[in-house]
Amino acid sequence: MKAAGNASTGDWDIVITAKDKLLSFDFKELFQYRDLIKLLIRRDFVAVYKQTILGPLWFLFHPIMSTIVYMFVFGNIAKIGTDNIPRPLFYFSGTMLWTFFATTLQKSSDTFIVNAPIYGKVYFPRFSMPIVYAVNSFFTLAIQFVCLLAIYVVYLVSGYSFHPSWWLLATPILVLQTALLSLGIGIMVSALTTRYRDFRNLIHFGLQMMMYVTPVVYPMSEVPARLKPLVMLNPLTPVMELFRHALLGGGEGNLTLWAVSLVETAAVFWLGMRVFNHNERTFIDVV
Amino acid sequence: MAAIIQVEGVSKEYRLGVIGNGSLYKDFQSWMAKIRGKEDPWTKIGAVSKFGKRDRFWALKDVSFEVEAGDRLGIIGRNGAGKSTLLKILSRITAPTAGTIRMRGRLASLLEVGTGFHQELTGRENIYLNGAILGMTKADIDRNFDEIVAFSEIESEFIDTPVKRYSSGMYVRLAFAVAAHLTSEILVADEVLAVGDAKFQDKCLGKMRDVSLNQGRTVLFVSHNIGALAKLCNKGILLEHGTLTATGEAAEVIRIYENSLENN
Ligand SMILES: Nc1ncnc2c1ncn2[C@@H]1O[C@H](COP(=O)(O)OP(=O)(O)OP(=O)(O)O)[C@@H](O)[C@H]1O
Ligand SMILES: [Mg+2]
Repeated sequence: MKAAGNASTGDWDIVITAKDKLLSFDFKELFQYRDLIKLLIRRDFVAVYKQTILGPLWFLFHPIMSTIVYMFVFGNIAKIGTDNIPRPLFYFSGTMLWTFFATTLQKSSDTFIVNAPIYGKVYFPRFSMPIVYAVNSFFTLAIQFVCLLAIYVVYLVSGYSFHPSWWLLATPILVLQTALLSLGIGIMVSALTTRYRDFRNLIHFGLQMMMYVTPVVYPMSEVPARLKPLVMLNPLTPVMELFRHALLGGGEGNLTLWAVSLVETAAVFWLGMRVFNHNERTFIDVV
Repeated sequence: MAAIIQVEGVSKEYRLGVIGNGSLYKDFQSWMAKIRGKEDPWTKIGAVSKFGKRDRFWALKDVSFEVEAGDRLGIIGRNGAGKSTLLKILSRITAPTAGTIRMRGRLASLLEVGTGFHQELTGRENIYLNGAILGMTKADIDRNFDEIVAFSEIESEFIDTPVKRYSSGMYVRLAFAVAAHLTSEILVADEVLAVGDAKFQDKCLGKMRDVSLNQGRTVLFVSHNIGALAKLCNKGILLEHGTLTATGEAAEVIRIYENSLENN
């Protein structure tokens, strides 16, 4: 940091130009604002839970209820298999990763509209907000993960044996990939919604459609052959399959499919950043 | 002294009226109508702006000036002259349509007090949050924390109470106190002093003057309050319809401005 008044030496610190540079993303600046990002994460967290009695336990309510409903609907009525993974674990793990994806996407798709009042008054890296959303949904995921472990232990104690694989080491990457994919789509939509509010309504519907082509309530092995390509096109599919395979065994780890989905994720995220960075420069003029 | 801010040929164009129809479906209908040579079904009746058929408008036209470190620059002009637009571009809230701006050090913008304050958080938490939003690091705030609380004149037992329990005066004071202790080299303020009570306003003006004189901080200040401008600023620029028409000593620019008001 430079001392005040020491302005006669050195280069310029801030240069503002009319055109945005392609591929310009300032990670250094984001790092400089790390204290702010931490405080914003805390603010969002506290704002939601300061006034509830159960606090963070609410994070468990949704996946537990979903798991019970899925066990009944997809397990007992539709009788869809679960790759020999106990149903509660199968549905709970699927719901938890899906919720992480969907929440991050939904929150980040509102970035510009929700934050317009603050973006209009002060500058800080605009991408801080989507990061805050992703980190907060990650906390939820972490709490749910503890709950998953608890169910896991119950099964172990009652004599059930699991076969987790070396893929276990890849789970942090899988979670990160899920985050990047949802952020990429989310910030792209957030830029589009400043022009067309319609996209906001489409998000809910789009997510619902996407859940059907993601192996959340069914494993890949239960998908009819002619529908397989459709499900596999979805970059989240290998992530979901591998996530379960890593934690619970069952299914298989397909390296090729994963590699393709990693490339897709990178492309989506890059495109999202492009659109976001372009939009952040003047969106405030038109909201 | 060298320039700390260099503004070179900055222009800003705004689009007027409703941009698009805000809905994909309506834009699509307008577009279809255009292709078939029909009248746009979404054209508003009587929606001819005062700028005639043009739907674009230059809020700033080729503005260039320099600010030296330690200057307190008053930006003067009538309503709609482009003062806030200029500050927004300097603050990186919106990008210019043309031109370049170069700056040394960090810039904190006070276009409003208490940006980012959250009702559920305590006074202490809000000081940290607001300070960080305005570009301070945690260490900066730690160092200035006691001074900020003292400046706000809020009793210490309230500092750990959520700000939703504050009176509106306390709230504004706390927000000002943070603003008054910003550590950035450049401070940009747009009519923010209009809210506090007169005594507190004076205190803030005095503080801004102080930091500029004693610590070499640069202040850019927009106000319609000629008294406040004269008290705080040593330099001034005058904007008229987006064009820069005078620069120089604050007193001189204020005089030109007042003359132009009388002649109209
Ligand atoms: N987002 C926008 N879209 C279109 N026009 C805008 C926008 N923001 C400002 N303008 C126009 O640009 C011109 C300059 O506005 P600006 O807010 O900079 O004026 P100002 O000098 O700050 O005036 P005041 O003293 O009233 O605050 C005005 O005519 C205003 O209507
Ligand atoms: Mg203004």
